[in-house]
Amino acid sequence: MAARWSSENVVVEFRDSQATAMSVDCLGSHAVLSGRRFLYMVNLEAPSEPPRKIGRQSKWDVGTVQWNPHKSEAHVFAASSNQRVDLYSWRDSCGEVHTSLQGHTRVISDLDWSWFEPEFLVTSSVDTYIYIWDTRDTRKPTVALSAVAGASQVKWNRKHQYLLASSHDGDVRIWDKRKPNTAAEYVAAHLSKIHGLDWHPDNEFIFATSSQDNSVRFWDYRQPRKYLNILSCQVPVWKARYTPFSNGLVTVMVPQLRRENSLLLWSTLDLNSPVHAFVGHDDVVLEFQWRPQKEGSKDYQLVTWSRDQTLRIWRVDPQLQKLCVSDVVEDLMEGMSLNAESEKSSQESETQHSVGLAAENLQGEKEDSAVGSGLPQTLQQEFSLVNLQIRNVNVEMDAVNCSCVVSAHFGSHQVHLVVKFPAQYPNNAAPTFQFVSPTTIPSAMKNKIQKILTDTSLQKVKRNQNCLEPCVRQLVSFHPYRLSLHDVFESQTQEDGPASGPFVLSNPVTPALQAFPRVTNTYGSYQDANIPFPRTSGARFCGTGCLVYFTRPITMHRSVPPTEPTPRSLSALSAYHSGVLTPMKMRSESQSTLRLYSGSPTRSDKDTVSISSFYYKERKLPISASRRWSVQTLHDWPKSRRFKTKREGTDYGNRPIKLAGKVIIQEISCLLPVHKALGESYILNMNDIQETCQKNAAAALAVGRRDVVWALASAATCQDLSPDSDPDTETPWARHPFGRHLLETLLDHYSHMSDVQTLAMLCSVFRAQAPPPDSYTLYGHHPSRSSILPPHHSRYVSRPFHPSPSLSDQKMLLQKQYDSHANPWGESSPDDYRYGNQGFADPREREREQHDMHKRLLDPANTLQFDEFKKCYGEILYRWGLREKRADVLKFASCPPEPHKGIEFGVFCCHCRSQARGTQCAVCKRLTFQCAICHVAVRGSSNFCLSCGHGGHTSHMMDWFRRQDECPAGCGCHCLLQSTF
Amino acid sequence: YFFYCHLNINLCVLDTSHEDMIHDAQMDYYGTRLATCSSDRTVKIFDVRNGGQILVADLRGHEGPVWQVAWAHPMFGNILASCSYDRKVIIWKEENGAWDKMYEYTGHESSVNSVCWGPYEFGLILACGSSDGAISLLTFTGDQQWDVKKISNAHTIGCNAVSWAPAVVPGSLIDQPSGQKPNYVKRFVSGGCDNLVKLWKEEDGQWKEDQKLEAHSDWVRDVGWAPSIGLPTSTIASCSQDGRVFIWTCDDPAGNTWTAKLLHKFNDVVWHVSWSITGNILAVSGGDNKVTLWKESMDSQWACISDVSKGQGAVSTITDTQQSEQ
Repeated sequence: MAARWSSENVVVEFRDSQATAMSVDCLGSHAVLSGRRFLYMVNLEAPSEPPRKIGRQSKWDVGTVQWNPHKSEAHVFAASSNQRVDLYSWRDSCGEVHTSLQGHTRVISDLDWSWFEPEFLVTSSVDTYIYIWDTRDTRKPTVALSAVAGASQVKWNRKHQYLLASSHDGDVRIWDKRKPNTAAEYVAAHLSKIHGLDWHPDNEFIFATSSQDNSVRFWDYRQPRKYLNILSCQVPVWKARYTPFSNGLVTVMVPQLRRENSLLLWSTLDLNSPVHAFVGHDDVVLEFQWRPQKEGSKDYQLVTWSRDQTLRIWRVDPQLQKLCVSDVVEDLMEGMSLNAESEKSSQESETQHSVGLAAENLQGEKEDSAVGSGLPQTLQQEFSLVNLQIRNVNVEMDAVNCSCVVSAHFGSHQVHLVVKFPAQYPNNAAPTFQFVSPTTIPSAMKNKIQKILTDTSLQKVKRNQNCLEPCVRQLVSFHPYRLSLHDVFESQTQEDGPASGPFVLSNPVTPALQAFPRVTNTYGSYQDANIPFPRTSGARFCGTGCLVYFTRPITMHRSVPPTEPTPRSLSALSAYHSGVLTPMKMRSESQSTLRLYSGSPTRSDKDTVSISSFYYKERKLPISASRRWSVQTLHDWPKSRRFKTKREGTDYGNRPIKLAGKVIIQEISCLLPVHKALGESYILNMNDIQETCQKNAAAALAVGRRDVVWALASAATCQDLSPDSDPDTETPWARHPFGRHLLETLLDHYSHMSDVQTLAMLCSVFRAQAPPPDSYTLYGHHPSRSSILPPHHSRYVSRPFHPSPSLSDQKMLLQKQYDSHANPWGESSPDDYRYGNQGFADPREREREQHDMHKRLLDPANTLQFDEFKKCYGEILYRWGLREKRADVLKFASCPPEPHKGIEFGVFCCHCRSQARGTQCAVCKRLTFQCAICHVAVRGSSNFCLSCGHGGHTSHMMDWFRRQDECPAGCGCHCLLQSTF
Repeated sequence: YFFYCHLNINLCVLDTSHEDMIHDAQMDYYGTRLATCSSDRTVKIFDVRNGGQILVADLRGHEGPVWQVAWAHPMFGNILASCSYDRKVIIWKEENGAWDKMYEYTGHESSVNSVCWGPYEFGLILACGSSDGAISLLTFTGDQQWDVKKISNAHTIGCNAVSWAPAVVPGSLIDQPSGQKPNYVKRFVSGGCDNLVKLWKEEDGQWKEDQKLEAHSDWVRDVGWAPSIGLPTSTIASCSQDGRVFIWTCDDPAGNTWTAKLLHKFNDVVWHVSWSITGNILAVSGGDNKVTLWKESMDSQWACISDVSKGQGAVSTITDTQQSEQ
């Protein structure tokens, strides 16, 4: 516990300086205070001497000022003023601006000199850029880092020449200046704005962040997901900086709050209570810096500047420094029990809760209600207004007997506490706390809790304030995981003793999480900062023509004002965990039978946090008190009549509230370019294209489509226009502007409409209309790949559903065709195939082939694309359940289905009778099958009778059945009649 | 050609009787069944044929809120995947009318936020995106075996969404060697807390980052690869915490040049985008409890078709439709 002695040895007042920033030089001889009109140079050796001044003319305050930390450049300091940085040099008691750095377009938020290169300075700005300047060339920054978001802090790593860190709202980015394009690491450090950032003085990976969210967190950027440690304060933290001696940390609170004017010194090994408080300033501390240690001195000096216009120098002697290096294990044990006292130590700030945005609402309400009835002075009032929606804690209040029973569960432990309030309470009369059975915690713990509660209550009643809620919250600080940590710790010490190292055991959170990797009661806690806030409404296209909505119940509204965007991360719910916000949802008794998020049997679920906590139910009575009542009914208290009447007045607390909204399925197929009705009525009769077109035109008209596409198709497929096979007769219709060109325009149009239905139908119709000629090479010419239809496919069009002919069939077919052309293509050299058209021995053939291409209305070059249309439309037809229609369309696809592999015969091994595939038995490894004639195992080609199953070598079988018609095995089967060899 | 759109308001309103908020609802391939998932840790399946709403199954197995469900293609049977805050992915299968766990995947270290089945051409393959930053690809290899491939650190901080590319042959549709079985390349898109949209491609059995699309200034909440109707253009929609929805298109056969077009900037987080089956209408939903539908006009401009109101008011906003219901 911090002894609050004052160890300041110098206080100097600089009235009217209005200085906003301060910096101590690296020699420890000067501090510069930056006011609006003057910069004051304070000689730290003789601080009470009147300071020297450097005049400045600017309407802007100095944002940040910093001396160059290198001895060679010790006379230089930088001061930011709006968008500009002025570099001053201070020599011979005289200072002036020697250069300025201009580049930022908005106000500069921070600057930092490199620890390695005396010329390098980094600046961060709201304009989202971070500039690294070489002060020898001040025209433009040498490196620009674009962060997208504005930065609040930027700091060079103290151990790594190229690394620097910047903070942007709640995130920290680590940059390597050699790779300026993108941040090297990204740490989602806090949920609220980060005010302060400080690298560890000795460890290149570790840094500390201080934030509006009332915490300081310690990070190793190699593990960006999980902070190493957390220091929870009761108020937003302005700055947290490591001390030059090991394991120390100094924090100051946010100046705007004007509450806490002390600086706190912490040991990073024990963050449960500060080791020292520097008390003395009458107003908020604006800046603090360490004066470099004098040679031979063991003391450190902390120089602070406050809005009270005083500069103070505090001595930190080795004894105080040693407090930061206390024994690790002892500290942790202490930490277990003294955890609450840390909060006590900052008692001034205790009454104020979070200033988190979302909290303000309820906070405001609370104050309103307090104002309405004056300050709650009586116990009844306190009982009625107290906000005790706290997990694992139940409070039964008995206003008549001036007492209440607090029961709490900590893991396997229980605490039951009777609190008795004296008559004068809360006017300087504290309640008494007494443990009653079945309290299961050890007596040492009891004593500590009792002491904490007594202290807390005394502090409150001294100021005539109520103390029940603060006391219960102190009690809750022994939260389950702290106790479970205790258990973990005990087992650890038994097993292998305490681990060493600054961040190993000092962390009260991480080990607990590691020990319980599925700690589900942290749902929505800070650990979930990287889990997106779940969708609570949305719409999804499903099937073919449905839009499925899922919704929030209409009565659920967001508990934050609608102008606030929905939080991005699930950890927004942490406000409900910490009790800062009371979930406005309620659950009926039937719903409370649900187990939620935790398997812990001791946990009651009525106060579990769910995503619905974020939303609240709209009420007719918007008075905060009524909400509070509804919460109270959940707690099944109180018994007094006064409460009962209130409860009866508002019965909605008993009514189950729907947390799940409706799911709506809406038919939206009318918005789509495809129609199920058309899918059903469109036909594809390849024998009568004209009829197909006419029927389809009628079908389209029937569903209200007045397009003339089918009329056009009908005209284009008219017999009169069918191309002549002789290339010399005339130009085929396809070459006419209304031929292929028109069709292409149509396809293009429907592509833009995404009307895959019409596209696929058109492609099929025109495919059927002009079946590609068979006079194609199958194995030969591939003249200019992009201009010719893949010939292999075309074969399937004419007989789409026949089993695919064997290769030899096709070859024979082709051979015939080519014979007629008298073109011995089989003899041409491989080069001829490769070089396409050159392979044509006969120019007439080439002409014919081109003619074949030209006379078709569908450009063969796009065949694969047309296939895609058909495939896609086929898929839609399948979803509609129109399988036959799908087959109709797909048979016009040029891409063949997987060739049928043929039937494979399974054999029972003739030796071991096990089933085998192929000639060798997998079990006995012998050949499975014997020839019925030679009785030798068959390896190669064989024939069977499908009726009796006998057979053998093909040659033997052929010979046999040339003369016989009965089975050679003598089974009497007339194999030739039963099956065909 | 005039496109007449007479919206007959055909609504089916389901009371799921979930005990906490619903996070996803999705119908199967044929549109006959609806799966919903909720913070109450359950997944429910309803038969919604002919406007009915019969509870078919109430799947319990998750230990935390269930974020998303996904139906597999029916050629593999009736299979549903669900992912949850409890870090698990569960694949459920109906056998003889009874739903049961087929597989439970526990390879993630944080909440699994998104699951998406690949096109059926690739077999039964599921992509899962998690807040641990990794993306897992689960492939059914038969005999109750699942092959797991994991892309670690796919998105710094966390992955929020995954969506598969349709099975199209890479490169130009024209320039394909014919006759062979088409050589599909597996691709999918993901979005994460690093504000990036990333495209992934399988090469030689290994998943590789193919493209990195930068435009959003906050977490990318959802990505959706538009279905293909056979046109050579690939289209992706992405939405973000920053309220922006971008439409990314790529005409380049190699798939390397993506151009972004801002669809709209909303005032609140946009957390879901969904494409219609023909890929020309996009449903956008976000934190404001509203849904808007967007359609690309003939001149490639995106316009909101649901806010135009009047005759098309049926799809104006969720709140409106629901109010009329209640």
